[in-house]
Amino acid sequence: MNCKELSYMLADYFDGSMDPQLQEELDAHLALCEPCLVFTKTYQAVSDKARRLRRQIEYEIPLDVRDRLETFVRAAALKYPEKLDEYREQVQRERREMVAGLVKAAIACRLSPGTALLVKTHCSACPECKEYFDGLPKASDPGPGDPPDLIHSHMIRLLQSLPPGEEFFLA
Amino acid sequence: MSAERWKEDEALLESLRKGSPGAIDELLRQYQGKIFNLAMSILKNESDAEEAAQDVFMTVIRKADTFQGNSAFYSWMYRICVNTCLMRLRGKRRTETVSLEEFMPVFTDEGMHASPMDDWSKEVERNALNEELGRMIRMYTEELSEKYRVVFVLSDVEGLSNEETAKILGLTVPAVKSRLHRARLYLREQLSRYLREGKVG
Repeated sequence: MNCKELSYMLADYFDGSMDPQLQEELDAHLALCEPCLVFTKTYQAVSDKARRLRRQIEYEIPLDVRDRLETFVRAAALKYPEKLDEYREQVQRERREMVAGLVKAAIACRLSPGTALLVKTHCSACPECKEYFDGLPKASDPGPGDPPDLIHSHMIRLLQSLPPGEEFFLA
Repeated sequence: MSAERWKEDEALLESLRKGSPGAIDELLRQYQGKIFNLAMSILKNESDAEEAAQDVFMTVIRKADTFQGNSAFYSWMYRICVNTCLMRLRGKRRTETVSLEEFMPVFTDEGMHASPMDDWSKEVERNALNEELGRMIRMYTEELSEKYRVVFVLSDVEGLSNEETAKILGLTVPAVKSRLHRARLYLREQLSRYLREGKVG
């Protein structure tokens, strides 16, 4: 193991996920190489300090922001019982729209690479979804309509596992 | 994630759904600081972070009923927060972020360290340095692009496990590790330069 290889492995070294044999090699290198020892100590100091100085690093919520946020959240929560049905309806609508978007993008072959991979992986383990996706009309007209509940729920779970902020279709 | 915390979160969610008095106080007490901090570390702007925090709590209230509990409540909240913040960043002109390459360690062709190394790991143990060091870490972290910043904040500052961070961000564990590693290498180099220049109080 040389210094460069050692530097690549430091994250594994410190979270304890390192292969024991490699770790032995790494320790042996560290015992003999002063620059690597210093590099490793200072690398560790970064995450040590980040954790210990959390209070100094984090942004404290200013009092006026805190007050406004509390007022806002309390007001929203007070309306919760009367708005519950509306909220449920909203969530259902959002989900239907997301699934319809996914189906549309699948038909048009415009799924993002990440989503396409997720769909493919899921379909290889789920015959129902595979059948549904395989059977999608190649032309978008007429649309296939809402998928059955089971497939709908699988698609929701799939969409929820995408990284936050990532679109599931290509622009 | 401890079992107690999990249980507390479950109870909080349940009382939110029932509209129990006190649920909102508990939600605010536990999460408003955390959510504001996370929003700030992504958006780096106080009024944006305030609006984002409002959106996050509104979404949590709106979806409490339909939340399926296949992830922990706090990781669900963090995820909503990251999502909300990234949506807000979209379409906005991003602030300049550094290119990490300049701060990565340099090696010779034989794979040996090419530059001299200062050992400042003892020096930063001085408690007198804490305020300044914390400020510097925050400042350098702000220069990272969100991709690295969020991972560093969740894993190293907040102390979540790589698995938890991966779940919140929808990334694989190796992807989290690799981003975290690069963020640490960058901060290590920045702190080295800073401490070498002797600007320390």
